[in-house]
Amino acid sequence: MTTGTTTAADETPLSGTESQFSAFFDDPRWALAMIRATVLEAAHPQIGAALVDNSTFVAHPWRRLRNTFLSMRRMFDADPAVREREAARLNRLHARMSGSDSRGRAYDAMDRGARAWVVATLFESAVTMCRLSGQPLDQDTMERMYAEYRVFLAALDGDAGGLPEDLNDFWRYFDRVVEDELENTEAARVILYRLFDHLPAPALLAGAPTLWAAGRAVVGPLLGAITVASLPEPYRRRAGLPEMPGAPTLMQGAYLAAGLTRFLPEGWINAETIIEALSLSPDSDDPRARTVAALRARMKRASALLRLLTPLGDGTVPDPVPATSRGTGEGRRSAEDFFRQVLDQTGDGHLDWPDLAAMARELATRLDLDEPEETRLYDAFAAWWRELQATLDTDGDGRVSADEYAAAVPTLAGPALIRVAEVLFDATDKDGSGTIDADEHRTLFRTAFQRDLTTTHGTYGRSAFVGDFLSFMSGRRPNTPYDPLLADA
Amino acid sequence: MDGNGRWAQRRSLPRTAGHRAAETTVIDIIEAARSAGVEWLSLYAFSTENWNRPGSEVDYLMRLVRRVVRKHAPLLLARGIRCRFLGAADPRIPRGLAQDFADLATLTADSRAMTLTVAFDHGGRRDIVEAARSLIRSGTPAEEVTERLFADHLPFPDTPDVDLVIRTSGEQRISNFMLWQVAYAEWVFPEALWPDFRAPDFHACLHTYRRRDRRFGGVPPQTNGDPS
Repeated sequence: MTTGTTTAADETPLSGTESQFSAFFDDPRWALAMIRATVLEAAHPQIGAALVDNSTFVAHPWRRLRNTFLSMRRMFDADPAVREREAARLNRLHARMSGSDSRGRAYDAMDRGARAWVVATLFESAVTMCRLSGQPLDQDTMERMYAEYRVFLAALDGDAGGLPEDLNDFWRYFDRVVEDELENTEAARVILYRLFDHLPAPALLAGAPTLWAAGRAVVGPLLGAITVASLPEPYRRRAGLPEMPGAPTLMQGAYLAAGLTRFLPEGWINAETIIEALSLSPDSDDPRARTVAALRARMKRASALLRLLTPLGDGTVPDPVPATSRGTGEGRRSAEDFFRQVLDQTGDGHLDWPDLAAMARELATRLDLDEPEETRLYDAFAAWWRELQATLDTDGDGRVSADEYAAAVPTLAGPALIRVAEVLFDATDKDGSGTIDADEHRTLFRTAFQRDLTTTHGTYGRSAFVGDFLSFMSGRRPNTPYDPLLADA
Repeated sequence: MDGNGRWAQRRSLPRTAGHRAAETTVIDIIEAARSAGVEWLSLYAFSTENWNRPGSEVDYLMRLVRRVVRKHAPLLLARGIRCRFLGAADPRIPRGLAQDFADLATLTADSRAMTLTVAFDHGGRRDIVEAARSLIRSGTPAEEVTERLFADHLPFPDTPDVDLVIRTSGEQRISNFMLWQVAYAEWVFPEALWPDFRAPDFHACLHTYRRRDRRFGGVPPQTNGDPS
């Protein structure tokens, strides 16, 4: 982080590097506090319902983490234009999320109370994280920070009316919401008990599944216990969360240890570097990727040797399944894999509109689309969804199950999907020449797919682009450049 | 690797015993080839047609190969032999064996002393068909297809043309073996059955090869009289 020139303090406190908020960006305690804040958010019935319906954090947690991080960065950027643009983008994104929860209560991501609560949990978790690690904030800092969070809310909502003006009133507001409004929502349970137990490996460690699973088996329950112990007591009671002996000590120990990293030399821990490194896929063009790839190759060889040296179980090796996925010819990815990795973005086992909306959202974010392109992309995806629903939803429950999908894979690429590809093409073809020239092509792959193309054969015509996109979306070809976009965890 | 069955029959043993005896030869020949300075060695272990053998023999072979691969993996790594498996795409190959093939290939991928290609579930025609498919898929215009380009689409395109093919047990057929690569190969047909074939026999074959005059369809450099 740069230590910029000290500008006049009457500037809005949101501006970049001096704010309390961004001071926490690289603080390891912030990771724990963010999990806690997310549980508190998810415990809010409206937000919880929106998360369960729309969020991709179960199936693609690392991508979601990265997106959230980048979005926060932009919201606290020094340049007001960047902040406004990001706020507008977030508002557009949230405006597309509304519906009703399992009990039929309506939710809306634009609801002012709900959005104020999100900001409140972030602020409260930051304060609590300092308390828990034994370095409480003094009153002045706390008030300054509160003001920053209110500016943050105002940037999103137009004004900060959702949060009390005064810090003293804030605590009353917070306690009231915790006691009266929070519930034991499905989303909160998912985060506490399912997310960490099933957390897929980030791109960086995707080559070492055994290692990842072993680490996760230890760390997952620990993170759960730490988070539960740090939640406000009234909520723990209401949600019926377990009180385990030693959990508070463990939790405070974790916060304390994370807090001790402040004695590390400056720049050792940089959240951006860590997040970027985690989402590094081995075949990207980043120089670090080569180091990682070399390391991973060694790990792969070591585990290959280990497997070869492990004695066989007495020669009578049962061979239950005759390797179905390998033999289906022509490198076709199994329909089930494709459904799980690409189509079912929310990870609920069904394909419905939020899954497709998540794809549109991801594409729009990666391509940095503005209006009206963004709406056109959403419209195209919506049309595709209607087409899918009409052809695939055979039992008429409004969504497409994995079985229904598997039964009808070939019909996936209808005219509506072609329309999606065309909208994408137009968004990339900035000069409207009808072809994506080498520059546009490179930009597309670099920004959207984080991959450098080794072969840029001049231009890329509309039909070639549409063809490639279709063969990816209909699950026909694995390992295309589109994989990192929608399939990565 | 011909003659395992006959070797066993002559000793009134079950055919499987012949396959088991073949293991010693395999290791012996790999070692002999490496010390003789051979850089590319291919063994034809199992052809696409071999699936037609009795189920019990195929099962036995699969288990045997798996044991051999696992037993000798550390040796192959230590000797700097890069191993890879040509073919090996059939779903009938047991999953464990396929995993071992992949593991051995991964393990020895950086070795450079010699490349050992084990043709397992291999068919020369199938490879050519695969290359044609790959060419068509890549959208290459017909007039641009050359022999070189075609060869680049074969599996393991870095494999050079085969110089010498040794077929044991006196059989004199090609049997669908690396059809593209053997175009200009020299052939030797020793009478020994594969389980009896040993390093000295291998050296004898190399010696025969060295005395051959390889012309690649041209004329010998020193001819008597004027070739015109």
